[in-house]
Amino acid sequence: MGRVLTKSSIMTQTASAAKKTASTKAKAGSGVKQTSGPKKARTKKKQGQAFPFTAIVGQEEMKLSLILNIIDPRIGGVLVMGHRGTGKSTTVRALAEVLPSIERVKDDVYNRTVSQYIEMEKSAKGGRTLKPENLTIEDIPVPVVDLPLGATEDRVCGTIDIEQALTSGVKAFEPGLLAQANRGFLYIDEVNLLDDHLVDVLLDVAASGRNVVEREGISIRHPARFVLVGSGNPEEGELRPQLLDRFGLHARIITITDVERRVEIVKRRREFDDDPQGYFKKWEKEQKKLQDQIQKAQALLPSITMNDDVLTDIARLCMQLGIDGHRGELTITRTAHAFAAFRGDKEVTMDHVREIAGLALRHRLRKDPLETLDPGEKIERELAKVLGEAEEV
Amino acid sequence: MIAFTDIVGMDLAKQAMMLLAIDPSLGGVVVPAAVGSGKSTLARAFADILPEGTPFVELPMNVTEDRLIGGVDLEATLVRGERVVQHGVLSKAHGGVLYVDSLSLLDSSAVSHVMDAMSRGQVLVEREGLSEVHPSEFMLVGTYDPSDGEVRMGLLDRVGLIVPFTTQNDYRARRQILKCNLGTKDDEDTCDELRMLRGLLQAARELLPQVSMTREQMQGLIQSALSLGVEGNRVDIFAIKAALASAALAQRTDVDEEDLKLAVKLVLVPRATRMPEREQEDVEEQMPPEEEMPPEEPEAEDEEAPADTPDADAEEEQEETPDMIEELMMEAVETELPDNIMNISLASKKKSKSGSRGEALNSRRGRFVRSQPGEIRSGKVALIPTLISAAPWQESRRIERMKKTGKFSKTALIINKEDVKVKRFRDKSGTLFIFMVDASGSMALNRMRQAKGAVSHLLQNAYVHRDQVALISFRGREAQLLLPPSQSVDRAKRELDVLPTGGGTPLASAIYLAWETAKQARTKGISQIMFVMITDGRGNIGLQASMDKDAPKASKEDIEQEVAALAASVNADGIASIVIDTQMNYLSRGEAPKLADKLGGRYFYLPNAKAEQIAEAALS
Repeated sequence: MGRVLTKSSIMTQTASAAKKTASTKAKAGSGVKQTSGPKKARTKKKQGQAFPFTAIVGQEEMKLSLILNIIDPRIGGVLVMGHRGTGKSTTVRALAEVLPSIERVKDDVYNRTVSQYIEMEKSAKGGRTLKPENLTIEDIPVPVVDLPLGATEDRVCGTIDIEQALTSGVKAFEPGLLAQANRGFLYIDEVNLLDDHLVDVLLDVAASGRNVVEREGISIRHPARFVLVGSGNPEEGELRPQLLDRFGLHARIITITDVERRVEIVKRRREFDDDPQGYFKKWEKEQKKLQDQIQKAQALLPSITMNDDVLTDIARLCMQLGIDGHRGELTITRTAHAFAAFRGDKEVTMDHVREIAGLALRHRLRKDPLETLDPGEKIERELAKVLGEAEEV
Repeated sequence: MIAFTDIVGMDLAKQAMMLLAIDPSLGGVVVPAAVGSGKSTLARAFADILPEGTPFVELPMNVTEDRLIGGVDLEATLVRGERVVQHGVLSKAHGGVLYVDSLSLLDSSAVSHVMDAMSRGQVLVEREGLSEVHPSEFMLVGTYDPSDGEVRMGLLDRVGLIVPFTTQNDYRARRQILKCNLGTKDDEDTCDELRMLRGLLQAARELLPQVSMTREQMQGLIQSALSLGVEGNRVDIFAIKAALASAALAQRTDVDEEDLKLAVKLVLVPRATRMPEREQEDVEEQMPPEEEMPPEEPEAEDEEAPADTPDADAEEEQEETPDMIEELMMEAVETELPDNIMNISLASKKKSKSGSRGEALNSRRGRFVRSQPGEIRSGKVALIPTLISAAPWQESRRIERMKKTGKFSKTALIINKEDVKVKRFRDKSGTLFIFMVDASGSMALNRMRQAKGAVSHLLQNAYVHRDQVALISFRGREAQLLLPPSQSVDRAKRELDVLPTGGGTPLASAIYLAWETAKQARTKGISQIMFVMITDGRGNIGLQASMDKDAPKASKEDIEQEVAALAASVNADGIASIVIDTQMNYLSRGEAPKLADKLGGRYFYLPNAKAEQIAEAALS
């Protein structure tokens, strides 16, 4: 100890430091948190039992969007906007329990796969290749990382390990939330209130898929690909257009107005509050069922086909709606694939597209201050036109 | 210090606090009341009825993010050579009370953190290399003066109990308060009373798990929430909990009518966004001031929304029990509601006091919120955060320096450019545009449409600048704040959609109201304010007439003078203005340019102005 680390040895430092600590085995359902380096036990109270995802009444749009993003993370995340007190964050926090697991190199703070690990460590070790058989792998639940509004930039991106630096002058990198979220979900509640400063960081990382930290002899690049999930109430403020555009899907949430369903919500909530564990047990079967369905869909996804006609119709729809760029088409296509997979269908049809078009396009319509028509209706209308034309041909 | 039991009046507030003491999962109590009503005395006395040793933490108005959330304790960290954590206010309040005196003046980022802690029951500390979770389950007790502005709805949504705002000025009650204050009451009595009350609450707490309500009662409460247009489902749970706690307080295991009524009063009514339908007629009768003005065709719009006939409703209600319960509760609503229930929290009460307090706060505008990396020249350097960020590097830098220079100093403090943190202030929150739209006269509809477009247009770009928009319409006898300062396009559009037009032109009232709104905004750290007036500049209702309907009609000259004087004061207060005249030229008699002149602002003549043009004019 006490030696000054060179650029190249830092990666290994973090990696080996991480290996020494059996990182807090991520318990299913808790926000996955890890620390690197030899640490004293932190006062990390495990998060309480989350409400079962399958027990959430209504809000199908939000639930479907989240599920489709699990099936295909390339969809690009979900923005959930809507009324207060309608279970937005409850639903997102419930997500962890239905997520499948992923394989990573044991205790790797960046959740890397074996091949990613070898690839990255190769450059750090001056070209020496690690052999896969020398690495231990483990299954962890897909991480769901909560980014609180008050987070500072260094904790988001990662920074020097203060304790090690203070005691021995060692510059060890301590990964931040972006590292933890790699290959998982990054959730920001009240995303429309997030500090501009952090929004810039997120946009940067979301676009490149990697996080770069350069500072006084620390130079770290690590993969940071995550499904961005944001929620908020539109009345509290608007979202920056660039950030809005980053989200693959946009789900809307409204207050449920059916009395019986509201009674059911209250009953479930109270029952859960009385005995969270017991209540969760009650829903275990449903949870398992959904999890299986998701896993099947994931397996099915690569083999799903889509007719060129459908693609043409999608392109025409986006054109008629005047959507700039190609992100709209791309998202709608991916989402339709994931949706077909979730349904267990082998081919994407316009029926699938119809169901998800609103989710994929709602936030991409050009904003016209004088427009009174709801974006959803507008999409519906144009979709009908496109489909009508298709039939005529 | 006045004990809880000695406080006279504010019965509903006291009841709310007792319910909260019985079931802390109700989240908190918010008490809106005017200055000097003893609301903060009551809030502090709340500690009296809680079990001994319950933490009671007051949230200072100018709290910084690291004090609120927690962070690294630099001093201790340096001394011990290991990271020492300092808990924030939110964590210190765990298991007890977090008290905020002027809730509506609390900085918006602080509000967000309080909201976040309440929804998690924890504080996530992800700061300065620290990653921790601190438990943070507390009861929020907040008081505020509605004339200081509104409390964020998102925060109110997480607080179960909101005491309805009453302006009752019972001088006997006040005298009693005064007496207690002077200590004419026997201390021993007070002690006994408090002990009894504490015992009672303890018994209620123990009984609570056994209290239950019927499905019909539950449906009734939810139905009431729906009728009142309350947003979200969280409120249902609060209403039910309040009713259960009320029953427990009365040592009953069944919920009765009174419990339900109390729940409606404290949980649902304060969040109402509309009148329950069957009440519509009574309300009209009770609101003479505005509706008495020249009844023109737009009035019809007001009434058409809830079209159901009251009779049909009443018949249906006979059949089902939940509806009968709802009926009962609506009675509670009626007795409780004075003339205007619409979002009590949102309705800024017209205030009589001058803006003295606002100005005092104004001097420290630009509140220090958090520090962030930055150039030394670009702002004020935040010393402590800079030291914190430099501290971990000292050892390695000394080693590096020794290599270079050959000298090693155990004490040298080496600060590099990257360590520098600058303070971020709140006043970077952009500009507040206050739109004043003349909704009187024949061109009103046209102006409204233009205003709507311009407002939306400004707001579309607002996220870049963090600008806000407020909207005032003036017609009839006085101006109305339709949209308090907001960044929300949705809300602005909604408000503009329901705008009635026609009637007199209370121009002076509009300027006055805009000025008051501007003063409030300044207390929240917004320093740049711009008035955007869309009018032909011809007022015909004086300020006196706006305040008091029996005031004698002012002459045309008086009204003009009044407007001119107000405009000059606004100008002197450093508020920028533009006046946009959309009237056809041949009708104009030059009032609008004159108004612009007095305001020290610019005049635009845009007879067929497009929304973008107006927005651009405001931005230029």
